[in-house]
Amino acid sequence: MAGGDTGGGGEVSMNESTRQTQHQPGVTIGCHAFLEPRLSEIGELRDQPGLDLPPRFLRHADEHTVVGVHAVLAARATHPAMPPVAGHAVVAAPCQAGRIAGGKTLAQMAVGGGVTVSPHIVPQCSLHSIAGAVSVALGMHGPHLGVGGGPEALGEGLLVAASLLLSSGDPNCNGVWLIATEWDEEPPLDHAGTPLTNPRCRGLAVFLEPLSSPEDGGTMLQPLAFELRMKRSVRGPQFQEPAGGLVAFARALDMCREGAALASWAVACPGGGEIRVRSRSRSVACGLREAA
Amino acid sequence: MSGIRAERREAREPVVITGLSAVSPLGNTCEQIVDRLFAGCSGVRAIGPDPRARTTRQFVAPVTEIPTPAGMDPHAFADLDRLEQICLAPLAGALADAGFDPQARPRLGLVLGLGAEHLKSWELDFFSGGTRVFEPRRDPALVHRLAGRLGIDGPAVTVAAACASSGYALGMARAWVESGWVDACVAGGCDILSPTSMAAFYNLRALSRRDDDPAKASRPFDRARDGFVMGEGGAFFVLERQKTAVARGARLRGELAGVGTSSDGVHMVMPSSDPVQAARAISAALADAGVVPGDVGYVNAHAAGTPVGDVAEAGAIRIALGEATDAVPVSSTKSMTGHLVSGAAAFEALVCLAAIERQAVPPTVNLDDPDPNCPLDHVPHVPRAHPVDVAVSNSFGFGGSNLCLVLRRAA
Repeated sequence: MAGGDTGGGGEVSMNESTRQTQHQPGVTIGCHAFLEPRLSEIGELRDQPGLDLPPRFLRHADEHTVVGVHAVLAARATHPAMPPVAGHAVVAAPCQAGRIAGGKTLAQMAVGGGVTVSPHIVPQCSLHSIAGAVSVALGMHGPHLGVGGGPEALGEGLLVAASLLLSSGDPNCNGVWLIATEWDEEPPLDHAGTPLTNPRCRGLAVFLEPLSSPEDGGTMLQPLAFELRMKRSVRGPQFQEPAGGLVAFARALDMCREGAALASWAVACPGGGEIRVRSRSRSVACGLREAA
Repeated sequence: MSGIRAERREAREPVVITGLSAVSPLGNTCEQIVDRLFAGCSGVRAIGPDPRARTTRQFVAPVTEIPTPAGMDPHAFADLDRLEQICLAPLAGALADAGFDPQARPRLGLVLGLGAEHLKSWELDFFSGGTRVFEPRRDPALVHRLAGRLGIDGPAVTVAAACASSGYALGMARAWVESGWVDACVAGGCDILSPTSMAAFYNLRALSRRDDDPAKASRPFDRARDGFVMGEGGAFFVLERQKTAVARGARLRGELAGVGTSSDGVHMVMPSSDPVQAARAISAALADAGVVPGDVGYVNAHAAGTPVGDVAEAGAIRIALGEATDAVPVSSTKSMTGHLVSGAAAFEALVCLAAIERQAVPPTVNLDDPDPNCPLDHVPHVPRAHPVDVAVSNSFGFGGSNLCLVLRRAA
């Protein structure tokens, strides 16, 4: 599987053996935003968390969390009619979040013992932390969870977000935030845990909303669609990290938002699933598909 | 959306548990673990001194031996890091327990509940002399290594919701099975003790600071509680549709009948003093299972023994169960196992299955003086015979993550 434009006219062609799973409505993308500040710029973002949040809100947060929270706020500002935030869920899929804090913690602990360990390292720098910070920042009451954590995180996050929206979850859940973060290049750390380079931390926030039925475009705010296919023919975990996967995904979303009919992009989910984003024609049914 | 979901709930087929396995401070077979839980045994020990530790004498609930999975070379297993070992052993055990025909194994998924995989992997490597945390590399996630070793060929993901992680894994697995994305799914979670996490929780003032008697340190709901005791271990389950399980002659261990989730949306560390969102998760799980509070025969509380958390949970239970609360026995098995963190929710779901099987409720040990701010029908010190067809397991995590599972006797 690879990232990038898959061509083919921007539509998913299903072969005859493909069936649409019963009662699996589609998902639309209500808004999105992509940020990629350099490491040196994250301090300023950390000190200005936005909304009415106190300046200390992100003080102990990992860099991925800072960028993820700001990406959500940027995306939210573009949504013309955001549904009530209380019903939102959050799925955050970072790649190796917490490594800088982890390196510093271990370096300090080796010298000074357990007394040097920050009490914030677990709540603020673990896999759940980005989702937790977004949930707390906006006062959401839907579920929030971290997903993946490794180089496969984007595909895993999409899969879990789709699961939350398409499965029998909380009937009050009116949307899921998917947040994916990664360094453009993992920074090498010195033996005190200090980064030796100034990479960009990419953060993509996407608000996914359910469609009541494949024909119902009423809640669709942007001409985008989201589709998941499970290929039974694929055996074994065969994931290969798509080159520039997150960037390509963000670019595809931008193209769709700007009305490009041909934009299309897909990512493999570990174990044989595939998530596809494309421009959506209202005449085209979309939703969860499963290859027989 | 809600209409379609409601329709699906009406029409859906039960998802049942056909395989389970655990490693824990109380043993590594389900029978041994359950026997010790119902005997009120404590797995808490004193360890140390460790130069990396925050104190000279620490109380923890360790797993003393991780069994090598059947068919695996013991030397190859010994070469794995402890995090992979402690996940692989019960995962392989659950698959073996499910008894799939090797010639016709279904399409399997895997959902691993694990909260701080990378921090712990870097730490294990670092204290073994490695430098991975400092290197600009991206290593594959543990869940894919596990899937590869066990030939799991469907989707595989890690989910993290702090101390509710493995419960979210079970909920996600049920959704995949119901949706038909997989034929069966292995799900659960395990965690390990680590010097960094113990120091972090100690510095957060979340751990008990008792240093007299290890077995007395974990005291959920007791007036003298002062924090939790860290443990390690967890459990994995195999989930599949009941019809499929019955057709292949599988042993039905119970039904994962309901899943409810919510978030407080209040604080990154502390649970909300207003238990309404936690109560909403419990009520949602009951509604998802199609049961009413009066049907509940047992609540396995999250209750880790923290002064704030136990009170908040008692309030949530009272709101969710309403007038039925005083007739529903509640216990916290963390009094015996310590807090298994990422593995806690799945392990405590196993405890619920045991309560259903034995028609009895395991005790909360060390509950000498119940906190009047936790007014529940406690089961102190010794188990209680009680009809249990429906059991509830609560799990709450950092960031205000609330999860409730409803387990039911399989029809």
